[in-house]
Amino acid sequence: MLRDYEPIVGKGTVEELRLLAGHLSGKVVQNVNSTFVGGGVAEILSRMVPLLNELGVDARWDVIKGNDPFFQVTKKFHNAIHGRSEDITTQDFEVFLETSKKNVQDLQLAGDIMFIHDPQPIALISRRKEVGKKWLWRCHIDVSQPSQQVWKFLHPYVIKYDAAVFSAPSFSQTLPIRQFLISPSIDPLSDKNRELSDDVVVAVLSKYKISRDKPIITQVSRFDYLKDPVGVIQAFKLVKRTIDCRLVLAGGTASDDPEGDKVLAEVNTAANGDPDIHVLLVPPNSDTDINALQRGSTIVLQKSIREGFGLTVSEALWKAKPVVASAVGGIPLQVKNKFTGLLSHGVEGTAFALKQLLTNPEYAAQLGKNGREHVRQNFLITRHIKDYLLLFLAVEHAGDIMHL
Amino acid sequence: MNLAIDWIARNWQAVIIPGAVFAAALMASFWLRTIVYKRVDRWVRKTSRKVDDILVSVTRGPSALWCVLISAYLALAVSNMPQPWKIPAGRIMGSLLTVSIALTINGLARETLGFYGERWKLSHGSLTLAKNVARSTLAVLAVLTMLDIWGLPLTSILVVLLLVALVGVVVFRDAIADVFAGLQVTATGNVKAGDYVKLWSGEQGYVLDIGTRHARIKGLDESVTTVPNSRLTQSAVINYGQPLKKAKEPFRFYGRAQITELTGLRAKNLPGLVDILKQVPESVVYYHTHHFLVDHHYLTPEPTNDFGVWVADALGDEALGERLASVDMFEFTSLASLKERLVSIMEECLSRKGAGRDAPEGRDFYFLKSTSVIFSTPYVAHDLREFVEALRNVSQDSLYFHVFESRMRLGRGLNDFSNWIDQNLGEKDLADRIARFDPYTYTLGGLRSTLIQLIEKRIK
Repeated sequence: MLRDYEPIVGKGTVEELRLLAGHLSGKVVQNVNSTFVGGGVAEILSRMVPLLNELGVDARWDVIKGNDPFFQVTKKFHNAIHGRSEDITTQDFEVFLETSKKNVQDLQLAGDIMFIHDPQPIALISRRKEVGKKWLWRCHIDVSQPSQQVWKFLHPYVIKYDAAVFSAPSFSQTLPIRQFLISPSIDPLSDKNRELSDDVVVAVLSKYKISRDKPIITQVSRFDYLKDPVGVIQAFKLVKRTIDCRLVLAGGTASDDPEGDKVLAEVNTAANGDPDIHVLLVPPNSDTDINALQRGSTIVLQKSIREGFGLTVSEALWKAKPVVASAVGGIPLQVKNKFTGLLSHGVEGTAFALKQLLTNPEYAAQLGKNGREHVRQNFLITRHIKDYLLLFLAVEHAGDIMHL
Repeated sequence: MNLAIDWIARNWQAVIIPGAVFAAALMASFWLRTIVYKRVDRWVRKTSRKVDDILVSVTRGPSALWCVLISAYLALAVSNMPQPWKIPAGRIMGSLLTVSIALTINGLARETLGFYGERWKLSHGSLTLAKNVARSTLAVLAVLTMLDIWGLPLTSILVVLLLVALVGVVVFRDAIADVFAGLQVTATGNVKAGDYVKLWSGEQGYVLDIGTRHARIKGLDESVTTVPNSRLTQSAVINYGQPLKKAKEPFRFYGRAQITELTGLRAKNLPGLVDILKQVPESVVYYHTHHFLVDHHYLTPEPTNDFGVWVADALGDEALGERLASVDMFEFTSLASLKERLVSIMEECLSRKGAGRDAPEGRDFYFLKSTSVIFSTPYVAHDLREFVEALRNVSQDSLYFHVFESRMRLGRGLNDFSNWIDQNLGEKDLADRIARFDPYTYTLGGLRSTLIQLIEKRIK
């Protein structure tokens, strides 16, 4: 319910959404992606579509159908777009085309605005002559350094859209169509972000055998080289020379990531049995646990080497936690150095930033407070909905100033 | 005839004595009435209270009837009429006296309420209601008195009436509270039609009228809200008094939202930054010099721009970064001239120090563009009171639009507030004071407070 967000973002913000939505009355916005469950896109759509409907926008959500080989190919595409080396054969492209053709024929498309999410359903644009007035491609992933083989395959489809939407400037490509920037968001009412009582926080920390007897530094991310968990331990050890504290590394390993176990083993080796280093393999769907671990922390760290948008940073900022994070991916959009957190570039820099915050709790609290406001203004779901409404309006108009 | 004469002859005492008592009592009471009214008339002429005049005029006629009834009652008392006749006759006279007194008091109440209702500017509905309440109360009292005179059991009737009244009070307690609150508000004059009020419960605006149960308030969005009168007495009310000077044209507050577009252009170093900056449209310059104000309005009044931040952070040229960041945007009323100034600073630096280093990997400058969506809000102001109250309520985006965007991007040269205050209210001094503010040195919250204080000071 939109009303539930009023105490968080203010009545004016929700009123503004209603006002903007009023200008889309009668329009049908059809979202299409590859799955109803699992993954960030489905999570966003499952929250966004009902809220858009509540605002009076006729938003619909459909998914394409595909068999295992199709989704194996799209997984390969996903990895290749992210710059990972993948062996993609002509047969893979044929599998993709064949399933896409079937979906193009079978899927009921009826939107005034067709909002296609990610590469899997990209070929639906083949029906743009007969369906929809405007077609938008919402790219949730970073396509700045893609495998040229995959990008050359996707490019002809992308440029047929009226506009593309990216999550960060650095994720985009030079394209001959309009490109919009819409950051992702967190939902302050979800299990991962809702307010928790101190009792719940204490219970979760006890569950993972973490004592609050000293400051706790936490990084929440899967065990992946790109999240640099070993670098986190190195930075922690530098801090611990002068300040007694604990480190929590909480995350899982992706089921499709063969490196996950290897990274976890390296992390355990680096931890070397230090009782102040807690390496937690958190099971999937443990959103409340993650929420409590972040809330129970003194500082939240995100020392990634490469990052997507990095919404774990927004999650920590929303909990008013002082954050130290690497200036990669979408993190600089969230952490304005020395205003809403501290940015670092290496192990020593991270250790220095951590020490600064641990020895200056008032400064740390001020950064946390600013961070929470920054997220309230820019990274909550209400802002995301507003951007989508503006996008649907803007795509109908040319020019830089639009009067409604 | 002969029978009647015979009866009188036989019972002359039974006729003559009561007749004499009646005549004597009538003369005495009329004499007394004349003296009393003469004195009262003299006293009334000396006073200026209207209620005295009403009292005299309303009682003058009925008092004659009272004299007759009292005389007749005395005559009846001395007569030797048989008891079965005497008792009903006495009760008829008592009943007539009761009705007469009730009618007289009703007339007195009607006239008094009419006079004071007009003086206190009671609404027609309140006045009618008060008269009806008085009339009903008198009728009930008269009936009860007559029942008592005729010896009927009064206790059970009183109990029933009391129960009915209690049930009525419980069922209509809100309505009763509203009615009395309406009477209280109009009698005390704390709130009048035309006043600008702000209720604790959130409603605010000009009071259109105060009715029997409800008051109507015209809000800032021109909607009319009906509030129960009890809310005017039970919750805190700020009454700002009568309207101020009306504007020739009302001020309508607009909202503004922005969606960001990617241009696909990016720079790795200072020469690239200058080259692209020269080519890009003004909407790009606007984005990179103004988005910080909106995105971080809660954070700092630091008037920064992305060019200065990037040059200092990514290229390591803090001196140039400072020069770019400290360009006084309040000096400019057009984006073209602002762009020219930024380019000239960069070019001057290039000619002096050369190209400098490239940005580290992943720190390129991405040129973004702002697309503004402007829409009307429900807030409309017809005078400075409405204006300042709307200013408290409009979104930060609306404030931003009227102060920054209209001046710089829409090329109006001046903020919308100063324009309206000068041209539609003739308040040139206030308009100039607002125009002299450098809004770039405030957070939006700070700017809002400062503007409100300035206007409040003027209207007080």
